[in-house]
Amino acid sequence: MTEETELNTDMDSEGLVHLGQSGGVVLLIEDDSAIAEEIVGELMSHGFDVRHEETGDAGLTAALTGEAHVMVVDRLLPGMDGLTVIETVRQRGIRTPVLVLSALSAVDDRVTGLKAGGDDYLTKPFAMEELVARVEALLRRPDDTRSTKLRVGPLSMDLIERRVWREGREIELLPREFRLLEYLMRRPGQVLTRSMMLEDVWQYRFIPRTNLVDVHIGKLRRKVDAPGEDPLIRSIRGTGFLLRVPG
Amino acid sequence: MFLAELFRTATFRLTLAALAAMAGVMVMQFGLVYTQMEAVESRRSTELLRGEARLLAQMTPEHLEYVIRKRATDDLRLVISSAGLFDSSHALITGDLHAWPKGLVADGKPHNIEIYPEEGAAYPLRLLAETLPDGTILVLGRSFHLLAEQKLMLRHATVVAAIPTLLFALLLGMVLSRRALLRVKEMHEAIDLIMAGDIHERLPAGKERDDLERLAGSVNRMLDRLERLMDGMREVGNDIAHDLRTPLSRVRAKLERALTSGGEREALEGAVSRAVDNLDQCLGIITALLRIAELESSRRRAGFGTVNLNDLGADVVDLYEPIAETEGVALVMQSTAVPVCLFGDRHLLVELLVNLVDNAIKFTPEGGQVTVSVLRQAGSVRLAVTDTGIGIAPEEHGAVLSRFYRSDKSRHVPGSGLGLSLVSAIAHLHDATVQIEDGPEGRGTRFSIIFMLQHALKAPD
Repeated sequence: MTEETELNTDMDSEGLVHLGQSGGVVLLIEDDSAIAEEIVGELMSHGFDVRHEETGDAGLTAALTGEAHVMVVDRLLPGMDGLTVIETVRQRGIRTPVLVLSALSAVDDRVTGLKAGGDDYLTKPFAMEELVARVEALLRRPDDTRSTKLRVGPLSMDLIERRVWREGREIELLPREFRLLEYLMRRPGQVLTRSMMLEDVWQYRFIPRTNLVDVHIGKLRRKVDAPGEDPLIRSIRGTGFLLRVPG
Repeated sequence: MFLAELFRTATFRLTLAALAAMAGVMVMQFGLVYTQMEAVESRRSTELLRGEARLLAQMTPEHLEYVIRKRATDDLRLVISSAGLFDSSHALITGDLHAWPKGLVADGKPHNIEIYPEEGAAYPLRLLAETLPDGTILVLGRSFHLLAEQKLMLRHATVVAAIPTLLFALLLGMVLSRRALLRVKEMHEAIDLIMAGDIHERLPAGKERDDLERLAGSVNRMLDRLERLMDGMREVGNDIAHDLRTPLSRVRAKLERALTSGGEREALEGAVSRAVDNLDQCLGIITALLRIAELESSRRRAGFGTVNLNDLGADVVDLYEPIAETEGVALVMQSTAVPVCLFGDRHLLVELLVNLVDNAIKFTPEGGQVTVSVLRQAGSVRLAVTDTGIGIAPEEHGAVLSRFYRSDKSRHVPGSGLGLSLVSAIAHLHDATVQIEDGPEGRGTRFSIIFMLQHALKAPD
């Protein structure tokens, strides 16, 4: 993801990458019309095309056409259950990424959701920004190329030697800071929420206190963005952080 | 009405059963005495007849004839009711037996034979015939009237004794049942009161001297426990309501002020964003409550696997080090030389440890230290978080694990108050116990999670 993505992307002046209008078709299978309306509105305002189905059966039919780039599926649906929809879709060999929504907060609920073939899991209630960030993340899964070097703007990272440079300046990082920066550099220009980072970098599923990730980012930012340098790590209020790709 | 109710009581039915048993015993006893009496009388009369026959046989025929005719000896008059002397062809020589009794054999053995007198009804006699040396036959008979009289007396006595005895037993049963019924009725009334909502009412248990009172005592103790549980639930309910109302009323006030001030876009945005923060806090409380309820009710171990406590501790310390640093608290990990593994849910154990570490950092002032340590002990593994913070008063050690408990010292610190309940629920799922004690040198607090060894796996060598 350092140079180009498969989807059409364009960058705004701040280095935020938006998916183009034609880029993302989201299939939403959700029976709660109030929540569905919110989700559709939010996704459309971020430039997605959204197709909404209210039942599992209709959702499955829509999913099997394969036109969606990403699916957002509620677990509890009238008629066919959300997990069954996902399982059926996977059995037909369709690899469309799926975000599972659930009002249940059971301990191993997430596990069953992911086992059925879901790619990510979000428990209601959630912030809309969180949903959008996760849908974007699913659309642009980092290409896990075996390249041992990452480059984002002035930053370059050597994954073998575990070293990072900003232009000519080498940045000394602790192992946890290195992991965090690697995560950011694999997703440049993408809004990453705190819970996404906790889940992906630390494999934790809950936010013990809100400023935990902020403190980690703060430490990293102080090392990456030296005084006088163009700041690369941006905070997105109410949502999370992103690594800018300077134009 | 009373009788119908009485009959339905267990005591009365028991009384009736006892009564029936008693009557049965009496019938059996009567039957035995009755038959025994017959046997004894039969033996006695045989002996008497034989003895008398022997005595009479020794007399001269003339003397015998005289004795029979006159029935002259005392013995004959007293014990022998009939006597006769017959010749060898069964013709009467003398005596009060008018004819040779039908079926009598002169074999010197007693025979019970029906006698048909010339007038009057037939009557049974026990007869014995003995052939004398001169060829005549001596016949002696003894009537059954004595036995019949005794039997009559016995029957009378039995009936006379049985009726009042059984009646008395019945009466006693009724009285006892009535008493039991009254006590059960009292208990019914007490239970009705409790069901109607008077949870403080108790059953009359007296001094718990008998079964019924002991049962009532047990029920009362059960009610005590239920009442305590209900109080606890009510308290938790109140706490939840209170903890939700505070942030919700703040949201309301903020939004209302933003609405009426009709202010700038920026001020509105600020107000809305703070309102969202407060709502998140409410949702956090609800989520935590649901999680605790889920953990407490389920014994699911779907996510269980081998967890290395040293790695787990190191991960959490790694996650919290920057926070500890910014708050001026040293966060230290003390691991064991060999890996300590146990069977558990890694995600839940991380959550447990994160809650403990988060709390410890929160309550430790700048310059303090928080230590995460793993310790192998005989039969158990100890995961401990020790801080040098404000400490917890000993009398509060038990209470801090309950829901929403906030120590007086921690009122000002934000949080859901549910972290330690979550710790306790997760520990419980792992069959581990939570121990709270003062830190070393009486400073701060040490939280220990003690895992029993059946969950701890052998360290791979």
